[in-house]
Amino acid sequence: MDILKLSKDKFADFLATLSEQKLYAPQKVGESLRFAPVTENSKVELDMANTTVPPKSIFFPQTETLYSYEMGNTEMQTPREVDEGIVLGARPCDARALVIVDNLFAWDVDDPYYQDQRAKNTVVGLACNKPCVNCFCLSVGGDPASTEGLDVLMTELEDAYVLEPLTEKGQKLCQSVAAVTEQAAAEDQDGAKALHQQAREMITRKIETEGIPEKLPTLWDNSLWQETADSCLGCGVCTFLCPTCHCFDIQDEVEGIEGRRCRMWDSCMFKEYTLHTSGHNPRPTRRERTRNRINHKYSYFVQKFDVIACVGCGRCINSCPVNIDIVEILRQAKEAL
Amino acid sequence: MVDVAKLKEIARETVSRDDVKYLIGWRQGTFGFRAAPHFVNKPEDVDQLIFSPLCSHNLATYLTGVEKLPVPRGQEADSRKVALMVKGCDSRAVVLQLVEQGYGRDSVVVIGCPCQGVVDQKKVEAKYPDMGENITAEWGEKTIIFNLPSGKTEVPREEVLAGKCLTCRYPNPLLADAGAWEEVAVWGSDDYADVQDLEAGNPQERRAFWEDKFASCIRCYACRNVCPMCYCEDCILDRLNPQWITRAVNPTENTAFHLSRAFHLAGRCIECGECERVCPVDIPLMKLNRKLTKEVRENYDYEPGLDPEAKPLQASYRPNDKEDFIL
Repeated sequence: MDILKLSKDKFADFLATLSEQKLYAPQKVGESLRFAPVTENSKVELDMANTTVPPKSIFFPQTETLYSYEMGNTEMQTPREVDEGIVLGARPCDARALVIVDNLFAWDVDDPYYQDQRAKNTVVGLACNKPCVNCFCLSVGGDPASTEGLDVLMTELEDAYVLEPLTEKGQKLCQSVAAVTEQAAAEDQDGAKALHQQAREMITRKIETEGIPEKLPTLWDNSLWQETADSCLGCGVCTFLCPTCHCFDIQDEVEGIEGRRCRMWDSCMFKEYTLHTSGHNPRPTRRERTRNRINHKYSYFVQKFDVIACVGCGRCINSCPVNIDIVEILRQAKEAL
Repeated sequence: MVDVAKLKEIARETVSRDDVKYLIGWRQGTFGFRAAPHFVNKPEDVDQLIFSPLCSHNLATYLTGVEKLPVPRGQEADSRKVALMVKGCDSRAVVLQLVEQGYGRDSVVVIGCPCQGVVDQKKVEAKYPDMGENITAEWGEKTIIFNLPSGKTEVPREEVLAGKCLTCRYPNPLLADAGAWEEVAVWGSDDYADVQDLEAGNPQERRAFWEDKFASCIRCYACRNVCPMCYCEDCILDRLNPQWITRAVNPTENTAFHLSRAFHLAGRCIECGECERVCPVDIPLMKLNRKLTKEVRENYDYEPGLDPEAKPLQASYRPNDKEDFIL
């Protein structure tokens, strides 16, 4: 399939064409950037390092109704059908995270809610021309121009975007925007490749992951975990902003005679996450909870699905209120013993 | 001004004491303009201690936030003191924690650090973007000096200091057992300009303002967890039965959460600004807190965290207290 070029002065037309379907793109919500449905008044922000909240929130919303019910009616109402949609401007790390999380939601049971969103959405990625200071995707199998999880890879040139369709869904999308695009010349394609290489060279943070999945469980009683947890506040910043964190809680919300069963993001850093009804907590302090977070990403998930559950986006490092730095923790783990 | 060498000396002596468990201070962070809380367990850990314009964290939250495991049979609880480095605003948190009897006076050793203002990460990162390596900083004469890879750079303090520091009236610790310092002059004054903007609007405008901000809340509870005055063992937000505020993230529940949080801090917020600093989606939480602070000051002439002998606001009834808000 042909690689296309979209001139920046046709970007508004491009958006208008895509908006014929449900379209999600990075926008300012309050003071932060996140993926939100594009409406007539939307201001799409592609000139960004990355969104604060990853696009996992589209596929795995923070609060999602599983079904609703009312007194006197034995039928449960499941949510309406999901429309086909487009996610525009996902960074390659965040798209890779979806492929990693796919494992989980297709593991012991197929999760229809997540899988439906995945099947019906076309993901248009935006290659990173300027990785941020805490990006370390190269260390965990990613790349600033990785195509995993993407249907189309977009690369921003000075006055145009290069669009490379990668899947059938991607080709369909490219055909739909044929009127506002042209074939990319060889020099545009080379320009995009040069930018990808330039981005790779800009990434300075690195971790050596070899041996980490096997070694982490052997450091169970290492002082590293207490030292890391000393300053931890036990908030949900690192997990909620993580593109691969996927833990959820299920609660019933009842008002009058109506109710709904919903699932919402949960965080292993919260103290009630593993709290038993008896009052016993197998992870009683932040030491055990911190240890679990790192072990889960870099060991347990690897044992189960053969892939590290971290894409190196750097959000947990950027946003931690007390500068807990996963790259630093793994460096210490590597050196320990 | 703080003599950092002398401060380290005091820290070394303090952690060497048999009755001190550990000392909490600050160290350089891992990238950019970040510092990090530093737990000093042994004298050699003192070497990493810093006190600079990067030391934003209010460490008093660690005094009340400590998670205690049940003491195994036959063993005694560790009753040693915790030593803590405090700036002026941080000291107000310690004072109020003592007033509220969060812990006993003899369980802490407070090391005072008069402060000339700490930097706002967002301001400094906007000014010097893409700093991968960790940068050190120091105070100059009405300036902040950054040791950038390209060399020393001096910036007028107004350009990079946190908003709370520009209006700070208590830069010197109000409570300290030790310290190596001369008092710094108060240079800020506070006319609550940030609150007045909002007060000027009508209720519809205010509602629209907060709806927009609360819409972005992800309920990570960083604002609650970092707050030195949020230390209830059984928080309203974690309660499941009755569930006062549901886990669902939507405008109604987000609003209920933020208003509850603000009201629980009425007459208790010591204006360290930590909630606003840690918010990953940049909700201007101090506007809420400071509206209540202003009300409390104007109506009851009360400021929390100034006097360890004072009573909490809610326990300090006076017959001539204003009551015109009672319906």
